[in-house]
Formats: sequence, C-alpha cells, structure tokens
Amino acid sequence: MTIAVNNLTVDFDERFQLHNINWQVDLGHHWVITGANGAGKSALAAALAGAGDILAGDIQGLPERIGVVSFEAQEELIDKERKKDDADIMDVISEGTPVREIIFDDCLDPDTAKDLIARFNLHYLLDRAFRKLSTGESRKVMIIRALSCKPQLLLLDEPFDGLDADTLTMFQQYLQQLVTQVPMILVLNRFDEFPDFVTHIAYVEAGQLMHQVDKQDTEAYDNLYQLLHLKSNDLDIPQAETETAIPKLPADQPLVKLTDLTIKHDEFKLIDKLNWTIEPNQHWQLSGPNGSGKTAILSIITGDHPQCYTNDILVFGFQRGNGESIWQIKQFIGYVSTALQWEYRVQISLRNVIISGFHDSIGLYTKASDGQKAIADQWLAVLGMQDRADESFQKLSYGDQRLLLIARAMVKHPPLLILDEPCLGLDDMNRQLVLALIEKICAGTETAVIYVNHHAEDKIAGIENFLALEQRQGA
Amino acid sequence: MANYFNTLPLREQLEQLAKCRFMHLNEFDDGVEALKGKKMVVIGCGAQGLNQGLNLRDSGLDVSYALRDAAIAEKRQSWKNATENGFTVGTYEELIPTADVVLNLTPDKQHTPVVNAVMPLMKEGACLSYSHGFNIVEEGMQIRDDLTVIMVAPKCPGSEVRAEYVRGFGVPTLIAVHEDNDPKGEGLALAKAYAVGTGGHKAGVLMSSFIAEVKSDLMGEQTILCGMLQTGSLLCFDKMIEEGVDAGYASKLIQYGWETITEALKYGGVTNMLDRLSNPAKIKAFDLSEELKVIMRDLYNKHQDDIMNGTFSRVMMEDWANDDVNLLGWRAETAETAFEKTPAGDVEISEQEYFDNGILMVAMVKAGVELAFETMTAAGIIADSAYYESLHETPLIANTIARKKLYEMNATISDTAEYGCYLYNHACLPLLQDFMKDIKTDVIGRGLDLSDTGVDNARLIEVNAALRAHPVEAIGAELRGHMADMKKIV
Repeated sequence: MTIAVNNLTVDFDERFQLHNINWQVDLGHHWVITGANGAGKSALAAALAGAGDILAGDIQGLPERIGVVSFEAQEELIDKERKKDDADIMDVISEGTPVREIIFDDCLDPDTAKDLIARFNLHYLLDRAFRKLSTGESRKVMIIRALSCKPQLLLLDEPFDGLDADTLTMFQQYLQQLVTQVPMILVLNRFDEFPDFVTHIAYVEAGQLMHQVDKQDTEAYDNLYQLLHLKSNDLDIPQAETETAIPKLPADQPLVKLTDLTIKHDEFKLIDKLNWTIEPNQHWQLSGPNGSGKTAILSIITGDHPQCYTNDILVFGFQRGNGESIWQIKQFIGYVSTALQWEYRVQISLRNVIISGFHDSIGLYTKASDGQKAIADQWLAVLGMQDRADESFQKLSYGDQRLLLIARAMVKHPPLLILDEPCLGLDDMNRQLVLALIEKICAGTETAVIYVNHHAEDKIAGIENFLALEQRQGA
Repeated sequence: MANYFNTLPLREQLEQLAKCRFMHLNEFDDGVEALKGKKMVVIGCGAQGLNQGLNLRDSGLDVSYALRDAAIAEKRQSWKNATENGFTVGTYEELIPTADVVLNLTPDKQHTPVVNAVMPLMKEGACLSYSHGFNIVEEGMQIRDDLTVIMVAPKCPGSEVRAEYVRGFGVPTLIAVHEDNDPKGEGLALAKAYAVGTGGHKAGVLMSSFIAEVKSDLMGEQTILCGMLQTGSLLCFDKMIEEGVDAGYASKLIQYGWETITEALKYGGVTNMLDRLSNPAKIKAFDLSEELKVIMRDLYNKHQDDIMNGTFSRVMMEDWANDDVNLLGWRAETAETAFEKTPAGDVEISEQEYFDNGILMVAMVKAGVELAFETMTAAGIIADSAYYESLHETPLIANTIARKKLYEMNATISDTAEYGCYLYNHACLPLLQDFMKDIKTDVIGRGLDLSDTGVDNARLIEVNAALRAHPVEAIGAELRGHMADMKKIV
C-alpha cells in the first residue's frame, strides 16, 4: 500500500488552508506529523480522513478502513450525543448512548474491542452514557473504536494526551505490536513522545509540508527538534543583566551617522561619499552584490576598519577619533557574521560562548558572575540546548554554532544588532532555524537591526528601511 | 659607548638581575589614563610597530608614525603600512618634537642610529620607549637626563599582538623602567598604561628590569629556545637517515615533533612531557638527558658568561659592523642542511607517536630547559625570569619550526637570537658527536622495541621524584597557575 498525496490544497471552512502538499507514505513506514501550534498538522491528518474541501490536487491509495483518533472526532461524537438528547421531545430524562453501544455497534472486530476494554480497564463504565465520561475516559473509548474497526491505516492525532502514565506505557506497547500489520500516522508535537517505531517525520508550517525527515538521519532529526522547539516554545528571550548594563543612550539621537563616508583601497574608492543615519529601533536591510562594500561599511561602524579614524563617523554619541576605545563602541553592538564564526576558534563551552557576548570577546577571559551564567542558561533553553551547556563549541554543527553566536550577540540587549548574512552557508532547515530565532529577537526587544543578505526569501518581518549598494568597477 | 651592565657594581648588577614580578590585574585599574591625550609617535612600522600602533589607537590613544624622509619619498612598505591604516605619517623633524612618548620599535641593530637621530629632536621631559633593552644594556646608549626611558615588550610576534587584542584578550608582556632615566617618577605609570593599551594586562604582565630582560632573553634564545632545537633537529635527522629510517618520515617526525612534545611541556612542565612516555621510555629519556646535561653544562655556562661579561654582544656587534658577513653565511649554511632540504613525508604520525618515537628529542628538551634554567639562576637571574626565558617560550619557537622548519624559526626570531643560535649550534654539534655514536633508532625514529614494558619500581620512583623535584617545576607550577587565572578560556 502506498498513499500518495499530490499537489493537494484543502480548504477548511475558509478558516485554514493546506497548500500544495506533496507526500508519499510507503508500506512499512510509520510517520509522525509535527509542527508548532496552528501550523496545520491536525489539518493534514484530517484531510487524509476526508475532512475539508479539496481545491486542488488529490490523494491516491487511501484504504477503505481508517481508524481515527483525534479531539475533533471525539468532539464530533460527543456533540452528536448531545444533539440526540436535545432532540428527545419526550418528557423523560435521556441517559444517552451507553459506552457498550458506542463500542460494539458496527464493530468489525469485537475480540480486539474486548481485549482492549480489559487492557484499559474500562469494564466499570460500559453501561454509562458516553457523553457523561471524563475527557480521558472518552478518549480511551475512541481509541478502542479506532483499533477495533480492522483498520488498514491508523490516524492518531495526539493519542497520548490525557492518558495517565501506566495507560500510556501499555498503549505504546500495544501500538508497537501493531506496526507490522497497520501503517500508522501520528500527530505529535512533543519529540519525547515519538514512539520508537516511527520511521519518518513530516514537519508542517503555515499549512505547508516543509520538511520530510528520515529518522535515521540523526543530524536532520536533531535540527528538526530544534526548529520545533524554537517555533513552539513560548519562552521569551532572556533579559539583559543589570550589573553590566550598557549605558543608556538618548532616544532622540541617531545610533549611527555616517557623513560622506569614503573607503579607499589605494586609489580605488570602494565607497564614495555615503551618507547613512540609523535611528534607535529602526531596522535596515543592507544589500548589494559581492564586493560592493557591505562588510566594509559594517566594520566602519563596529570600529574594525582602520579608516573609521579618517572619516566623519558618529556612533552611539562618540565622534570617532577623539580618544574613545573600540570597546566603548562595541558594547553597544551585537554582531554576527560568517567571518566571526570562522574566527571563533577557541576551546570553550556553549555556556561561555554566550557569556563572552557580555565582553565582546572571542573566548572568555574574565570570571563569569552567577547572574551572567543564569542568563546564558536561559538562552540555551530558548535554543533547546539546555542539556549541552558544558559541551565544546567546536563540536557543534555549523548551524548550531550560528544560533549560539546570535544568542551571544543578543545577550546584552544591544541597541544595534548587525547580522551580516546570518544564513550564509546554512542549509534550508538551519536557515529557518536562524530566521526563527531572529524573528523572536526582533519581536521582543528595542534593538535596531541591520540585516545583510542576498536571498529574497530570507526576509525578516518588520524591516522597512533598505540601503542597496551598487557594484563599483575598478578605478 | 661602554657596556652599561659592566659599569655597575656587582651589588647593583645582582639587584637588577633579580627583578621580575608577576603583576596583579588590579594594578592596572587606571587603564590608559597616564597616556590619555598624549602624543605617541612610533618609529618603525614593521610587524611590531604597526600592530602595537593599531592596538594603542583602538584603546583611545593618539598614535602617529615617524619615518625617514627616504621611506616617505619612495613610498616604502613602512609608509604604506602606516598610511593605508589611516595613521598620520611624518618625518622625524615633523613629528618627534611634538611627541610625549616616542616608541622605538625598530630592530636592535638600528637602535643606535635611530636613537641618535631622535634624541636631539625630543622635547624636554618626554618619554622614550623600547621593546628590548639591548641598546641600553649592551651598547650603553646614554639617554638625555630629562627623558624617561621605559620598556614594553609583548612576548609574541606582532601579528599575534594584534589578533589577541581584537579577540578581546592580549599577549603576555614584560615591562621595565630604566631607573637612571626616570626623572619624574612616571616611568612605571606610563609603562603600565602602554601595556593596557596593547591589551597585555589581560594576559599577564611581568615587571622586570632592562638588565634582567636582556641577560635572560639572550641566554634563553641562544641555548634552549633556538640553539638546542636547531642542533637537535640536525643530529636527530642525520642519525635516522644513517639508520635507514625513511627520510620523509624522519623529516616529519622532527618538524612537527618539537611542537607536539613541547605542547605537553606548556601544559604541565618537564614532568608532564616525560609522563607522556611509557615507563621504560621515560626512564630511558631521563637517563639520556642526565648524560646530555653533563656533556653540555660547560657550553651553557660559557654562553651565560659571554652574555654577562659582554663578550657575546661585542662579537656580534663586530659582525654588524662587518655587514653581517657571519650571520648571512651561517644562515645560508643552515639552508643547505639535509634536514632543511628534505620535505616532510606524506605519512600519518599520531600525537602519541611523536613521543614514543622521539624519546631523544624529549631528552634534549628536558636537558636544555633544565640547563638553561639552572645556569640563569646560578648567574643571579631570578627564577621567574629564567622560567619564562627557558621553558615558557620553547613551545612558541617549536611552533615556528612546525611551520617552515629552521628557516622559519630563524626568520621569525630577532637577528640577535639568530646569531646566538648559530654560535650555540657550531659548538654543540661537535660536542655531541661521541654521544650520538651510541644512539640507535629505539630512541629516535622507531621507538623502544620491548615485549615487556615492566620496570623496576625503585628506579621509576627515583626518576619520578627527580623530575618533580627540579626547581623549574616549582616556579612553573606557580606561574602557570597565575596565567591560568588570567586566561580563563574554560
């Protein structure tokens, strides 16, 4: 059996749409559909069960009998029971349909049903009205119904929710026994609930099937975990630390003011009389072809370019070249680039990489305070790396290193965050991870962002100002 | 000019030699304040001059470069270095009279003409800074009484001075005040501010004297640091070839071996370096090094004596006056040695194998470090200085050999170190000839061939105790502790 979903677009009462889903479930594969809240994972499962209006595409190879467990199905059944009661015009109190009938009417496999009643220990409520059961009890009934219909496919949407620990273990073991007989598609949003028999993961976001990952591919699996973590956790980004707080800047003064900026290499003018003012909390996108001077301009702002001393540059209230130190400048800036990642080659733990952001240093050379450690740990939690605080930075994957450096740049809540092609060199999944983190940051702080990129698709919501550089040809 | 050190009474010589103290971070609380608003003019825009200037400017200080008229007119490299980085550049006549501090960052050899040209132009009460004390101590340069004379010497190549600063750290730095020239008593404050400006205070600052710096620096560089590694490289390579070891393997074992074994030295002293060996190999290395120390002790003493009484500097300066005929000749000779001409083979050598198959190299490093340390301290140099100029810097020099063999080492170190290195090598090669006759590939090239790695307990205890009891280990543990506190890269 192969279920093939082709270019499927489904509308759900105009409230939600699944877009252009292409997906194939092969025999012997057991899938988890996952994603953040509202991403559309339940909708995808429901579409397989026939819900929604198909606007385009189709689903091939669906079996006849599908066992469905979901809150929606459960609610529907309870609703039906309630309506029955309301519809009763006779002056007697309706008890509603007893559980026994709910399970055994139309049951194709009564032996399995009986076995499961015993396993779930439900004998005591067989004669009660279905609609009077607690949520957990009615869920168990739904599970029994789904499993005793001789299913050719099981669609289980959050089947473990509301089950107590013993029941959960029993139920997972039971499913384990079924894997050779019935293909399963589960909807789950917690990675730690993924049963061992799962072979593939489908990641849904904004009604689209964004990633399909083979569980054997551990790297992709780990990335997916982190992506889901960033997308679904509701942790706010940690506060700045009070003891090493950055001096307050006046709100009515520009953060950066470059006047007639000219950068020369020998006689060649890389930048010729550029004027650029960045106001507090103003987001900019800086673009231009390779070699157009994007990074040079940024390094003028950060104080890393020697010609910052020969230009008219006002940064954070300092007119450059008047006795200020670069550390006085850098304290106001968070900075991330591929070059920084290459230069960050010291033996250091993940926690200390984040703490180094308080000192704008590569490596950590002063003792960290307890407050700084606590903030670093909160950041690690946001990144889903809380259990890896003492691991070596050099052993992290490329994408994880980038995430950590972004956290390092933000740890002090700088007035200016410079992201110089933060997605460069990252694969699709890691790019989304980085963008998810940046969006989280942009939404929650009063930081002005300068964002440099080539890719139109790597857009960040909330950037309204654009500076585009042109390629200058050699003099 | 007379050798300054030799003009001092013994009492003062000993007092100056004994100066060396690891400074606490809180002694730098004033930051660069003492230099704020002062005009710093750098002479020499090579690797040290340029990179120190970049750091000082980024620390908020006013830095410009004084170059010779010809360098400016011909737009030489030094002019390019300075102007491309946006510094003000001018002639001596233009800039020196405005300078509050003149930073002499030219090579030793040019110090006398440079200082003679600069001094008459300097304003009353200004400061002259050196990064090496040779000109003052060995050449006896007399500086005007109204001028303050200090030394600030970052203990790394210029490129590293810059790279570490940009990372937010620094390199270990030695500072000193020439007490004969401290009329306003501000020398120490200026030297400390200068060290902060280059980032040195974050990595650790040693407060020393001009004399202790020169006498210990010369001794270390010509014996263990450069001389021993050069002699050892040549002897070990020739022995392996003679015994039929593959030339590419032999070349690689030596080129990268010094770096690998001295990395262990850096972390845990001579003890740790020997602890990396198996028990029988450790005892073997210990015995070899004891033998080497007996053979080489007189040579180390001779180098120290020649340095102390000024013979070394006199002879070298004669070569300076003779257009470096000796230096250039010896440099060419080194380039022609078999080791230098045999490229490292494309063979895998594991980290441990460098120890196992390089027992003799381990013995040579141990003998050299201990002899240099013993000789220096016997001559009145304080243990702290002796440690830095022997054990501490050996890995730094070994790194240069790993990059491009002896050529790279001799190109990176100063002309003074290079000259001394050749002197040592010429004397040491014949001295070890008999010793090398008995050497086989079990201690260099192939490793011990043992079916039984058992050792006698009593002998092992004896060797371990002797290793740990050497005075270089006690001071090393203490100073490495300070450095670790400073450099908390956890």
